[in-house]
Amino acid sequence: MIELVNVSKSYPNGIDVLFNISLNIGKEEFVFLVGSSGAGKTTLLKLLYRDETPTSGKVIVDRVNVAELDSSQVPYLRRNIGVVFQDYKLLPKRTVFENVAFALRVTGAPRSTIRRKVMQALELVGMLRRANAFPEELSGGEKQRACIARAIVNNPPILLADEPTGNLDPTTSWDIIQLLDKINKRNTTVMMATHNKSIVDDMKRRVVAIENGRIVRDQLLGGYNV
Amino acid sequence: MFSNIEFFLFEAFRSFQRGALMCFVAIGTITVSLVIFGLFLLLVINLGNIIGSVSSKIDLAAYVEKDLSLESAGALQLELSRIPGVVKVDFISRTEAWKKFQEEYGDTLALDEIIAGNPLPHTFNIKVRTPEILPMVAKRISEMDNIDEVRYSGQFIEQVRSLIDAVRIGGAALVVLISFATLLIVVNTIRLTVLARETDIYIMKLVGATNTFVKWPFIIEGVILGILGGLSSFLILKFSYDAIIARIAVALPFVPLVADQRLLALVYLVMVLGGTALGMIGAYISVSKVLKAEG
Ligand SMILES: Nc1ncnc2c1ncn2[C@@H]1O[C@H](COP(=O)(O)OP(=O)(O)OP(=O)(O)O)[C@@H](O)[C@H]1O
Ligand SMILES: [Mg+2]
Repeated sequence: MIELVNVSKSYPNGIDVLFNISLNIGKEEFVFLVGSSGAGKTTLLKLLYRDETPTSGKVIVDRVNVAELDSSQVPYLRRNIGVVFQDYKLLPKRTVFENVAFALRVTGAPRSTIRRKVMQALELVGMLRRANAFPEELSGGEKQRACIARAIVNNPPILLADEPTGNLDPTTSWDIIQLLDKINKRNTTVMMATHNKSIVDDMKRRVVAIENGRIVRDQLLGGYNV
Repeated sequence: MFSNIEFFLFEAFRSFQRGALMCFVAIGTITVSLVIFGLFLLLVINLGNIIGSVSSKIDLAAYVEKDLSLESAGALQLELSRIPGVVKVDFISRTEAWKKFQEEYGDTLALDEIIAGNPLPHTFNIKVRTPEILPMVAKRISEMDNIDEVRYSGQFIEQVRSLIDAVRIGGAALVVLISFATLLIVVNTIRLTVLARETDIYIMKLVGATNTFVKWPFIIEGVILGILGGLSSFLILKFSYDAIIARIAVALPFVPLVADQRLLALVYLVMVLGGTALGMIGAYISVSKVLKAEG
Protein backbone atom coordinates (compact mmCIF):
# COMPACT_ATOMS: atom_id res chain seq x y z
CA MET A 1 0.00 0.00 0.00
CA ILE A 2 2.82 2.35 0.95
CA GLU A 3 6.32 2.05 -0.36
CA LEU A 4 9.27 4.35 0.10
CA VAL A 5 12.29 3.77 -2.13
CA ASN A 6 15.55 5.48 -1.23
CA VAL A 7 13.80 8.58 -0.04
CA SER A 8 15.83 11.56 1.10
CA LYS A 9 14.50 14.90 2.17
CA SER A 10 16.17 18.23 2.74
CA TYR A 11 14.18 21.33 3.56
CA PRO A 12 14.83 24.44 1.50
CA ASN A 13 16.64 26.00 4.47
CA GLY A 14 19.32 23.34 4.00
CA ILE A 15 18.37 21.03 6.87
CA ASP A 16 18.74 17.37 5.87
CA VAL A 17 15.94 15.45 7.57
CA LEU A 18 15.62 12.02 5.93
CA PHE A 19 18.41 9.91 4.44
CA ASN A 20 17.82 7.09 2.00
CA ILE A 21 14.69 5.72 3.61
CA SER A 22 13.18 2.52 2.18
CA LEU A 23 10.05 1.06 3.64
CA ASN A 24 7.24 -1.20 2.52
CA ILE A 25 3.88 -1.28 4.27
CA GLY A 26 1.11 -3.69 3.33
CA LYS A 27 -2.58 -2.97 3.14
CA GLU A 28 -3.56 -4.67 6.40
CA GLU A 29 -0.73 -3.32 8.50
CA PHE A 30 -0.70 -1.18 11.62
CA VAL A 31 2.69 0.48 11.97
CA PHE A 32 4.10 2.55 14.81
CA LEU A 33 6.64 5.15 13.85
CA VAL A 34 8.87 5.95 16.82
CA GLY A 35 11.91 8.11 17.34
CA SER A 36 13.00 11.03 19.38
CA SER A 37 11.78 14.52 18.77
CA GLY A 38 13.12 15.95 15.53
CA ALA A 39 13.94 12.50 14.14
CA GLY A 40 11.86 13.12 11.03
CA LYS A 41 8.56 11.27 11.73
CA THR A 42 6.25 14.11 10.77
CA THR A 43 8.33 14.82 7.70
CA LEU A 44 8.02 11.22 6.57
CA LEU A 45 4.23 11.32 6.97
CA LYS A 46 4.03 14.64 5.10
CA LEU A 47 5.71 13.01 2.11
CA LEU A 48 2.87 10.49 1.93
CA TYR A 49 0.09 13.06 1.57
CA ARG A 50 2.25 15.36 -0.55
CA ASP A 51 2.49 18.20 1.89
CA GLU A 52 6.19 17.88 1.13
CA THR A 53 8.01 16.34 -1.81
CA PRO A 54 11.15 14.23 -1.38
CA THR A 55 14.48 15.60 -2.56
CA SER A 56 15.11 12.21 -4.13
CA GLY A 57 13.54 8.78 -4.19
CA LYS A 58 10.06 7.43 -4.77
CA VAL A 59 7.04 7.67 -2.52
CA ILE A 60 4.50 5.18 -3.74
CA VAL A 61 0.98 5.24 -2.33
CA ASP A 62 -1.48 2.79 -3.78
CA ARG A 63 0.80 2.13 -6.79
CA VAL A 64 1.20 5.85 -7.60
CA ASN A 65 4.44 7.76 -7.12
CA VAL A 66 3.04 10.75 -5.31
CA ALA A 67 6.36 12.57 -5.56
CA GLU A 68 5.60 13.07 -9.25
CA LEU A 69 1.85 13.46 -8.95
CA ASP A 70 0.35 16.35 -10.89
CA SER A 71 -0.78 18.98 -8.42
CA SER A 72 -4.32 18.82 -9.80
CA GLN A 73 -4.45 15.21 -8.60
CA VAL A 74 -3.23 15.90 -5.08
CA PRO A 75 -6.73 16.56 -3.63
CA TYR A 76 -7.82 13.08 -4.70
CA LEU A 77 -4.74 11.54 -3.09
CA ARG A 78 -5.53 13.38 0.12
CA ARG A 79 -9.13 12.17 0.15
CA ASN A 80 -7.72 8.64 0.32
CA ILE A 81 -5.46 9.45 3.24
CA GLY A 82 -6.98 10.46 6.54
CA VAL A 83 -4.50 12.50 8.56
CA VAL A 84 -4.54 13.21 12.28
CA PHE A 85 -2.23 16.21 12.40
CA GLN A 86 0.14 16.68 15.28
CA ASP A 87 -1.13 20.27 15.58
CA TYR A 88 -4.76 19.32 14.72
CA LYS A 89 -5.19 21.86 11.92
CA LEU A 90 -8.84 22.48 12.67
CA LEU A 91 -10.49 25.37 10.86
CA PRO A 92 -10.72 27.97 13.63
CA LYS A 93 -14.05 29.56 12.82
CA ARG A 94 -16.02 26.39 12.28
CA THR A 95 -17.66 24.09 14.73
CA VAL A 96 -16.45 20.56 15.32
CA PHE A 97 -19.31 19.32 13.18
CA GLU A 98 -18.39 21.62 10.29
CA ASN A 99 -14.73 20.72 10.55
CA VAL A 100 -15.47 17.04 10.26
CA ALA A 101 -18.09 17.64 7.59
CA PHE A 102 -15.58 19.58 5.51
CA ALA A 103 -13.65 16.43 4.61
CA LEU A 104 -16.85 15.01 3.11
CA ARG A 105 -18.03 18.25 1.58
CA VAL A 106 -14.96 18.50 -0.64
CA THR A 107 -15.96 15.16 -2.17
CA GLY A 108 -19.35 16.55 -3.14
CA ALA A 109 -21.26 14.15 -0.89
CA PRO A 110 -24.97 14.91 -0.42
CA ARG A 111 -26.02 16.71 2.72
CA SER A 112 -27.90 13.86 4.31
CA THR A 113 -24.95 11.51 3.89
CA ILE A 114 -22.62 14.13 5.34
CA ARG A 115 -24.79 14.54 8.39
CA ARG A 116 -25.10 10.84 9.04
CA LYS A 117 -21.41 10.07 8.60
CA VAL A 118 -20.24 13.05 10.66
CA MET A 119 -22.50 12.03 13.52
CA GLN A 120 -21.16 8.49 13.33
CA ALA A 121 -17.57 9.66 13.36
CA LEU A 122 -18.17 12.03 16.27
CA GLU A 123 -19.92 9.29 18.17
CA LEU A 124 -16.96 7.01 17.55
CA VAL A 125 -14.47 9.45 19.06
CA GLY A 126 -16.87 10.45 21.85
CA MET A 127 -17.31 14.02 20.61
CA LEU A 128 -21.00 14.05 19.82
CA ARG A 129 -21.65 16.24 22.83
CA ARG A 130 -19.18 18.83 21.58
CA ALA A 131 -20.37 18.86 17.98
CA ASN A 132 -21.33 22.53 18.05
CA ALA A 133 -18.27 23.79 19.88
CA PHE A 134 -15.60 25.85 18.15
CA PRO A 135 -11.98 24.63 18.28
CA GLU A 136 -10.96 27.43 20.63
CA GLU A 137 -13.52 26.14 23.10
CA LEU A 138 -12.00 22.65 23.16
CA SER A 139 -9.33 21.07 25.33
CA GLY A 140 -6.24 19.62 23.65
CA GLY A 141 -7.64 16.11 23.86
CA GLU A 142 -10.97 17.19 22.43
CA LYS A 143 -9.27 18.88 19.51
CA GLN A 144 -7.31 15.73 18.91
CA ARG A 145 -10.46 13.65 18.85
CA ALA A 146 -12.20 16.10 16.51
CA CYS A 147 -9.19 15.80 14.25
CA ILE A 148 -9.40 12.01 14.37
CA ALA A 149 -13.10 12.14 13.50
CA ARG A 150 -12.29 14.28 10.46
CA ALA A 151 -9.52 11.89 9.40
CA ILE A 152 -11.74 8.83 9.46
CA VAL A 153 -15.07 10.29 8.38
CA ASN A 154 -14.86 9.20 4.75
CA ASN A 155 -13.33 5.80 5.44
CA PRO A 156 -10.01 6.42 3.73
CA PRO A 157 -7.95 3.34 2.87
CA ILE A 158 -4.97 4.89 4.67
CA LEU A 159 -4.90 6.61 8.03
CA LEU A 160 -1.87 8.55 9.22
CA ALA A 161 -1.88 9.61 12.84
CA ASP A 162 0.82 11.96 14.08
CA GLU A 163 0.92 11.57 17.84
CA PRO A 164 -2.84 11.21 18.15
CA THR A 165 -2.58 10.57 21.86
CA GLY A 166 -0.14 13.35 22.65
CA ASN A 167 -2.71 15.30 24.63
CA LEU A 168 -4.83 12.51 26.01
CA ASP A 169 -5.00 10.92 29.43
CA PRO A 170 -4.07 7.19 29.56
CA THR A 171 -7.68 5.99 29.46
CA THR A 172 -8.70 8.13 26.51
CA SER A 173 -5.42 7.32 24.78
CA TRP A 174 -6.25 3.72 25.09
CA ASP A 175 -9.78 4.29 23.72
CA ILE A 176 -8.30 6.06 20.74
CA ILE A 177 -5.85 3.25 20.09
CA GLN A 178 -8.68 0.75 20.25
CA LEU A 179 -10.49 2.90 17.72
CA LEU A 180 -7.48 2.99 15.39
CA ASP A 181 -7.15 -0.76 15.81
CA LYS A 182 -10.79 -1.21 14.86
CA ILE A 183 -10.32 1.00 11.83
CA ASN A 184 -7.24 -1.00 10.88
CA LYS A 185 -9.26 -4.23 11.07
CA ARG A 186 -11.80 -2.60 8.70
CA ASN A 187 -9.12 -2.88 6.05
CA THR A 188 -7.37 0.45 6.57
CA THR A 189 -3.63 0.83 6.62
CA VAL A 190 -2.69 2.71 9.78
CA MET A 191 0.59 4.47 10.43
CA MET A 192 0.99 6.19 13.73
CA ALA A 193 3.87 8.34 14.92
CA THR A 194 4.10 8.29 18.68
CA HIS A 195 6.17 8.78 21.79
CA ASN A 196 3.78 6.69 23.88
CA LYS A 197 5.87 3.77 25.12
CA SER A 198 3.16 1.82 26.93
CA ILE A 199 0.83 1.81 23.95
CA VAL A 200 3.55 0.61 21.57
CA ASP A 201 4.63 -2.05 24.01
CA ASP A 202 1.13 -3.28 24.69
CA MET A 203 -0.06 -3.38 21.09
CA LYS A 204 2.79 -5.51 19.82
CA ARG A 205 2.60 -4.28 16.25
CA ARG A 206 5.21 -3.50 13.65
CA VAL A 207 7.52 -0.76 14.88
CA VAL A 208 9.66 1.43 12.62
CA ALA A 209 12.19 3.45 14.56
CA ILE A 210 13.82 6.52 13.03
CA GLU A 211 16.84 8.29 14.43
CA ASN A 212 18.42 11.30 12.77
CA GLY A 213 16.56 10.64 9.57
CA ARG A 214 17.51 6.99 9.21
CA ILE A 215 15.55 3.83 9.92
CA VAL A 216 17.39 2.18 12.77
CA ARG A 217 14.90 -0.60 13.45
CA ASP A 218 12.00 -2.24 11.63
CA GLN A 219 10.49 -4.94 13.78
CA LEU A 220 7.28 -6.94 13.50
CA LEU A 221 5.57 -7.38 16.89
CA GLY A 222 8.02 -4.88 18.30
CA GLY A 223 8.22 -2.68 21.36
CA TYR A 224 9.10 0.94 21.91
CA ASN A 225 12.69 0.06 22.71
CA VAL A 226 14.74 -2.81 21.39
CA MET B 1 -19.83 20.49 -8.30
CA PHE B 2 -23.37 21.87 -8.49
CA SER B 3 -24.42 20.04 -5.37
CA ASN B 4 -22.05 22.42 -3.60
CA ILE B 5 -23.52 25.71 -4.76
CA GLU B 6 -25.64 26.03 -1.69
CA PHE B 7 -22.60 25.39 0.47
CA PHE B 8 -20.51 27.96 -1.40
CA LEU B 9 -23.17 30.63 -0.98
CA PHE B 10 -23.49 29.77 2.67
CA GLU B 11 -19.72 29.94 3.10
CA ALA B 12 -19.49 33.27 1.32
CA PHE B 13 -22.20 34.84 3.43
CA ARG B 14 -20.80 33.43 6.60
CA SER B 15 -17.44 34.99 6.00
CA PHE B 16 -19.16 38.40 6.14
CA GLN B 17 -20.62 37.55 9.45
CA ARG B 18 -17.23 36.50 10.80
CA GLY B 19 -15.08 39.11 9.21
CA ALA B 20 -17.61 41.93 9.40
CA LEU B 21 -15.05 44.65 10.00
CA MET B 22 -12.83 43.49 7.14
CA CYS B 23 -15.80 43.37 4.80
CA PHE B 24 -16.95 46.77 5.90
CA VAL B 25 -13.51 48.19 5.15
CA ALA B 26 -13.45 46.44 1.79
CA ILE B 27 -16.88 47.73 0.80
CA GLY B 28 -15.90 51.22 1.96
CA THR B 29 -12.72 51.16 -0.11
CA ILE B 30 -14.53 49.91 -3.18
CA THR B 31 -17.21 52.56 -2.68
CA VAL B 32 -14.75 55.43 -2.35
CA SER B 33 -12.69 54.43 -5.35
CA LEU B 34 -15.76 53.90 -7.48
CA VAL B 35 -17.18 57.28 -6.43
CA ILE B 36 -13.93 58.92 -7.50
CA PHE B 37 -14.06 56.99 -10.74
CA GLY B 38 -17.68 58.03 -11.31
CA LEU B 39 -16.92 61.67 -10.53
CA PHE B 40 -14.21 61.70 -13.14
CA LEU B 41 -16.44 60.06 -15.65
CA LEU B 42 -19.15 62.68 -15.06
CA LEU B 43 -16.59 65.47 -15.13
CA VAL B 44 -15.28 64.36 -18.50
CA ILE B 45 -18.76 63.87 -19.91
CA ASN B 46 -19.75 67.35 -18.72
CA LEU B 47 -16.67 69.01 -20.11
CA GLY B 48 -17.42 67.45 -23.45
CA ASN B 49 -20.97 68.66 -23.19
CA ILE B 50 -20.01 72.21 -22.31
CA ILE B 51 -17.57 72.45 -25.16
CA GLY B 52 -20.12 70.94 -27.50
CA SER B 53 -22.69 73.52 -26.55
CA VAL B 54 -20.23 76.37 -26.89
CA SER B 55 -19.17 75.27 -30.31
CA SER B 56 -22.74 74.80 -31.47
CA LYS B 57 -23.18 78.51 -30.88
CA ILE B 58 -20.53 79.39 -33.42
CA ASP B 59 -21.93 80.20 -36.82
CA LEU B 60 -21.08 81.51 -40.23
CA ALA B 61 -22.16 84.80 -41.60
CA ALA B 62 -22.64 84.85 -45.37
CA TYR B 63 -23.09 88.28 -46.95
CA VAL B 64 -24.80 88.35 -50.26
CA GLU B 65 -24.15 90.79 -53.06
CA LYS B 66 -25.68 94.10 -52.27
CA ASP B 67 -28.10 94.37 -55.16
CA LEU B 68 -29.59 90.90 -54.75
CA SER B 69 -33.40 90.87 -54.69
CA LEU B 70 -35.40 89.38 -51.84
CA GLU B 71 -36.72 86.64 -54.14
CA SER B 72 -33.26 85.50 -55.19
CA ALA B 73 -32.24 85.62 -51.52
CA GLY B 74 -35.09 83.24 -50.69
CA ALA B 75 -33.88 80.83 -53.36
CA LEU B 76 -30.38 81.16 -52.02
CA GLN B 77 -31.53 80.33 -48.49
CA LEU B 78 -33.01 77.08 -49.75
CA GLU B 79 -29.80 76.27 -51.56
CA LEU B 80 -27.72 76.99 -48.46
CA SER B 81 -29.84 74.84 -46.23
CA ARG B 82 -29.22 71.89 -48.54
CA ILE B 83 -25.46 71.95 -48.01
CA PRO B 84 -24.44 68.86 -46.00
CA GLY B 85 -23.59 69.75 -42.41
CA VAL B 86 -25.72 72.88 -42.35
CA VAL B 87 -28.41 72.64 -39.71
CA LYS B 88 -29.98 76.07 -39.76
CA VAL B 89 -30.03 79.11 -42.04
CA ASP B 90 -31.42 82.39 -40.75
CA PHE B 91 -32.06 85.22 -43.10
CA ILE B 92 -31.47 88.79 -41.97
CA SER B 93 -32.60 91.38 -44.49
CA ARG B 94 -30.42 94.40 -45.02
CA THR B 95 -33.12 96.73 -43.62
CA GLU B 96 -33.35 94.61 -40.49
CA ALA B 97 -29.60 94.54 -40.14
CA TRP B 98 -29.32 98.29 -40.59
CA LYS B 99 -32.01 98.91 -38.02
CA LYS B 100 -30.21 96.73 -35.51
CA PHE B 101 -26.94 98.45 -36.25
CA GLN B 102 -28.49 101.84 -35.78
CA GLU B 103 -30.11 100.84 -32.54
CA GLU B 104 -26.82 99.63 -31.23
CA TYR B 105 -24.54 102.42 -32.39
CA GLY B 106 -26.88 105.25 -33.33
CA ASP B 107 -26.36 107.05 -30.04
CA THR B 108 -22.61 107.17 -30.21
CA LEU B 109 -22.14 107.74 -33.89
CA ALA B 110 -23.90 110.24 -36.03
CA LEU B 111 -24.56 107.59 -38.65
CA ASP B 112 -26.67 109.65 -41.00
CA GLU B 113 -23.87 112.16 -41.33
CA ILE B 114 -21.22 109.57 -42.12
CA ILE B 115 -23.17 107.22 -44.33
CA ALA B 116 -25.84 108.01 -46.83
CA GLY B 117 -28.38 105.22 -47.04
CA ASN B 118 -28.08 101.61 -45.91
CA PRO B 119 -24.62 100.21 -46.65
CA LEU B 120 -25.34 96.68 -45.44
CA PRO B 121 -26.10 93.64 -47.62
CA HIS B 122 -28.59 90.89 -46.83
CA THR B 123 -27.03 88.38 -44.49
CA PHE B 124 -27.45 84.70 -43.74
CA ASN B 125 -26.58 83.30 -40.33
CA ILE B 126 -25.69 79.68 -40.85
CA LYS B 127 -25.29 77.02 -38.13
CA VAL B 128 -23.37 73.87 -38.86
CA ARG B 129 -23.51 70.50 -37.15
CA THR B 130 -19.98 70.52 -35.71
CA PRO B 131 -17.31 73.17 -35.63
CA GLU B 132 -14.81 70.91 -37.40
CA ILE B 133 -16.60 71.30 -40.72
CA LEU B 134 -16.88 75.08 -40.51
CA PRO B 135 -13.93 75.89 -42.79
CA MET B 136 -15.12 73.42 -45.39
CA VAL B 137 -18.67 74.69 -45.41
CA ALA B 138 -17.43 78.28 -45.48
CA LYS B 139 -15.32 77.62 -48.50
CA ARG B 140 -18.16 75.93 -50.33
CA ILE B 141 -20.54 78.82 -49.61
CA SER B 142 -18.04 81.45 -50.67
CA GLU B 143 -17.79 79.73 -54.06
CA MET B 144 -21.55 80.02 -54.60
CA ASP B 145 -23.10 82.59 -56.93
CA ASN B 146 -24.39 85.80 -55.40
CA ILE B 147 -22.34 85.36 -52.26
CA ASP B 148 -20.07 88.24 -51.62
CA GLU B 149 -18.23 87.18 -48.51
CA VAL B 150 -18.26 84.51 -45.79
CA ARG B 151 -17.04 85.21 -42.29
CA TYR B 152 -16.43 83.17 -39.22
CA SER B 153 -14.08 83.41 -36.34
CA GLY B 154 -11.41 81.08 -37.62
CA GLN B 155 -9.02 81.39 -34.74
CA PHE B 156 -11.72 80.76 -32.19
CA ILE B 157 -12.80 77.66 -34.05
CA GLU B 158 -9.25 76.35 -33.99
CA GLN B 159 -9.07 76.91 -30.26
CA VAL B 160 -12.37 75.19 -29.65
CA ARG B 161 -11.27 72.34 -31.81
CA SER B 162 -8.03 71.76 -29.99
CA LEU B 163 -9.86 72.11 -26.67
CA ILE B 164 -12.28 69.40 -27.73
CA ASP B 165 -9.39 67.17 -28.75
CA ALA B 166 -7.59 67.83 -25.48
CA VAL B 167 -10.68 67.01 -23.43
CA ARG B 168 -11.31 63.87 -25.42
CA ILE B 169 -7.79 62.56 -25.19
CA GLY B 170 -7.14 63.80 -21.67
CA GLY B 171 -10.51 62.56 -20.49
CA ALA B 172 -10.01 59.13 -22.00
CA ALA B 173 -6.52 58.92 -20.52
CA LEU B 174 -7.79 59.99 -17.11
CA VAL B 175 -10.63 57.51 -17.17
CA VAL B 176 -8.23 54.72 -18.12
CA LEU B 177 -5.85 55.80 -15.38
CA ILE B 178 -8.55 56.03 -12.74
CA SER B 179 -10.01 52.69 -13.83
CA PHE B 180 -6.62 51.16 -13.39
CA ALA B 181 -6.16 52.72 -9.96
CA THR B 182 -9.62 51.54 -8.96
CA LEU B 183 -8.78 48.03 -10.15
CA LEU B 184 -5.58 47.98 -8.10
CA ILE B 185 -7.27 49.28 -4.97
CA VAL B 186 -10.19 46.88 -5.17
CA VAL B 187 -8.04 43.88 -6.01
CA ASN B 188 -5.72 44.63 -3.12
CA THR B 189 -8.57 45.18 -0.70
CA ILE B 190 -10.09 41.84 -1.60
CA ARG B 191 -6.67 40.29 -1.34
CA LEU B 192 -6.47 41.33 2.29
CA THR B 193 -9.71 39.51 3.01
CA VAL B 194 -8.30 36.42 1.32
CA LEU B 195 -4.90 36.58 2.99
CA ALA B 196 -6.61 36.74 6.36
CA ARG B 197 -7.74 33.21 5.65
CA GLU B 198 -4.56 31.82 4.17
CA THR B 199 -4.25 29.19 6.90
CA ASP B 200 -7.82 28.11 6.31
CA ILE B 201 -7.08 27.65 2.64
CA TYR B 202 -4.03 25.56 3.49
CA ILE B 203 -6.04 23.33 5.81
CA MET B 204 -8.85 22.96 3.29
CA LYS B 205 -6.35 21.78 0.75
CA LEU B 206 -4.84 19.34 3.24
CA VAL B 207 -8.16 17.59 3.72
CA GLY B 208 -8.70 17.16 0.02
CA ALA B 209 -10.31 20.31 -1.35
CA THR B 210 -9.61 21.06 -5.02
CA ASN B 211 -8.55 24.55 -6.01
CA THR B 212 -11.93 25.15 -7.58
CA PHE B 213 -13.68 24.15 -4.39
CA VAL B 214 -11.58 26.61 -2.39
CA LYS B 215 -12.04 29.39 -4.92
CA TRP B 216 -15.81 29.49 -5.26
CA PRO B 217 -16.80 30.92 -1.90
CA PHE B 218 -14.14 33.61 -2.26
CA ILE B 219 -15.31 34.55 -5.73
CA ILE B 220 -18.92 34.74 -4.57
CA GLU B 221 -17.78 36.84 -1.66
CA GLY B 222 -15.82 39.13 -4.00
CA VAL B 223 -18.85 39.55 -6.22
CA ILE B 224 -21.04 40.42 -3.24
CA LEU B 225 -18.50 42.92 -1.90
CA GLY B 226 -18.26 44.40 -5.39
CA ILE B 227 -22.03 44.70 -5.80
CA LEU B 228 -22.43 46.30 -2.38
CA GLY B 229 -19.56 48.71 -3.05
CA GLY B 230 -20.94 49.48 -6.50
CA LEU B 231 -24.45 50.10 -5.19
CA SER B 232 -23.38 52.39 -2.38
CA SER B 233 -21.11 54.35 -4.71
CA PHE B 234 -24.05 54.65 -7.10
CA LEU B 235 -26.29 56.04 -4.35
CA ILE B 236 -23.65 58.48 -3.12
CA LEU B 237 -22.84 59.71 -6.60
CA LYS B 238 -26.46 59.98 -7.69
CA PHE B 239 -27.50 62.06 -4.70
CA SER B 240 -24.48 64.32 -4.82
CA TYR B 241 -24.72 64.81 -8.58
CA ASP B 242 -28.42 65.60 -8.41
CA ALA B 243 -27.67 68.11 -5.66
CA ILE B 244 -24.84 69.66 -7.70
CA ILE B 245 -27.05 69.98 -10.75
CA ALA B 246 -29.76 71.64 -8.71
CA ARG B 247 -27.29 74.16 -7.25
CA ILE B 248 -25.61 74.97 -10.54
CA ALA B 249 -28.93 75.34 -12.32
CA VAL B 250 -29.62 78.20 -9.90
CA ALA B 251 -26.16 79.73 -9.52
CA LEU B 252 -24.75 79.29 -13.03
CA PRO B 253 -27.74 78.70 -15.29
CA PHE B 254 -25.68 79.15 -18.45
CA VAL B 255 -23.48 76.13 -17.68
CA PRO B 256 -25.10 73.23 -19.48
CA LEU B 257 -24.62 70.23 -17.15
CA VAL B 258 -25.57 66.79 -18.34
CA ALA B 259 -28.91 65.82 -16.88
CA ASP B 260 -29.89 63.25 -19.47
CA GLN B 261 -31.23 60.49 -17.26
CA ARG B 262 -30.37 57.77 -19.74
CA LEU B 263 -26.74 58.81 -19.97
CA LEU B 264 -26.51 59.10 -16.19
CA ALA B 265 -28.14 55.69 -15.77
CA LEU B 266 -25.44 54.31 -18.04
CA VAL B 267 -22.70 55.86 -15.91
CA TYR B 268 -24.25 54.41 -12.75
CA LEU B 269 -24.65 51.03 -14.38
CA VAL B 270 -20.98 51.08 -15.37
CA MET B 271 -20.10 51.74 -11.73
CA VAL B 272 -22.21 48.93 -10.30
CA LEU B 273 -21.16 46.43 -12.94
CA GLY B 274 -17.57 47.64 -12.70
CA GLY B 275 -17.62 47.15 -8.94
CA THR B 276 -19.00 43.66 -9.36
CA ALA B 277 -16.46 42.70 -11.97
CA LEU B 278 -13.62 44.16 -9.93
CA GLY B 279 -14.74 42.27 -6.83
CA MET B 280 -14.83 39.05 -8.77
CA ILE B 281 -11.51 39.58 -10.54
CA GLY B 282 -9.90 40.67 -7.27
CA ALA B 283 -11.08 37.59 -5.45
CA TYR B 284 -10.04 35.31 -8.28
CA ILE B 285 -6.56 36.77 -8.57
CA SER B 286 -5.99 36.75 -4.81
CA VAL B 287 -7.17 33.20 -4.19
CA SER B 288 -5.23 31.93 -7.17
CA LYS B 289 -2.10 33.57 -5.81
CA VAL B 290 -2.51 32.02 -2.37
CA LEU B 291 -3.24 28.61 -3.89
CA LYS B 292 -0.24 28.86 -6.14
CA ALA B 293 2.03 29.79 -3.26
CA GLU B 294 0.93 26.66 -1.46
CA GLY B 295 1.49 24.51 -4.50
N1 LIG C 1 9.13 23.11 7.16
C1 LIG C 1 10.35 22.88 7.66
N2 LIG C 1 11.38 23.61 7.25
C2 LIG C 1 12.61 23.39 7.74
N3 LIG C 1 12.90 22.46 8.63
C3 LIG C 1 11.93 21.69 9.10
C4 LIG C 1 10.57 21.87 8.66
N4 LIG C 1 9.80 20.96 9.28
C5 LIG C 1 10.61 20.26 10.08
N5 LIG C 1 11.88 20.68 10.00
C6 LIG C 1 13.04 20.13 10.69
O1 LIG C 1 13.13 18.77 10.32
C7 LIG C 1 13.47 17.98 11.41
C8 LIG C 1 12.48 16.85 11.59
O2 LIG C 1 11.24 17.39 11.93
P1 LIG C 1 9.95 16.50 12.14
O3 LIG C 1 8.83 17.42 12.43
O4 LIG C 1 9.83 15.57 11.01
O5 LIG C 1 10.34 15.69 13.45
P2 LIG C 1 9.47 14.70 14.30
O6 LIG C 1 10.14 13.40 14.27
O7 LIG C 1 8.07 14.72 13.84
O8 LIG C 1 9.56 15.34 15.76
P3 LIG C 1 8.48 15.38 16.91
O9 LIG C 1 8.53 14.04 17.59
O10 LIG C 1 8.98 16.43 17.84
O11 LIG C 1 7.19 15.68 16.30
C9 LIG C 1 13.57 18.90 12.61
O12 LIG C 1 14.92 19.18 12.83
C10 LIG C 1 12.84 20.14 12.16
O13 LIG C 1 13.42 21.26 12.76
MG1 LIG D 1 6.32 15.36 14.59
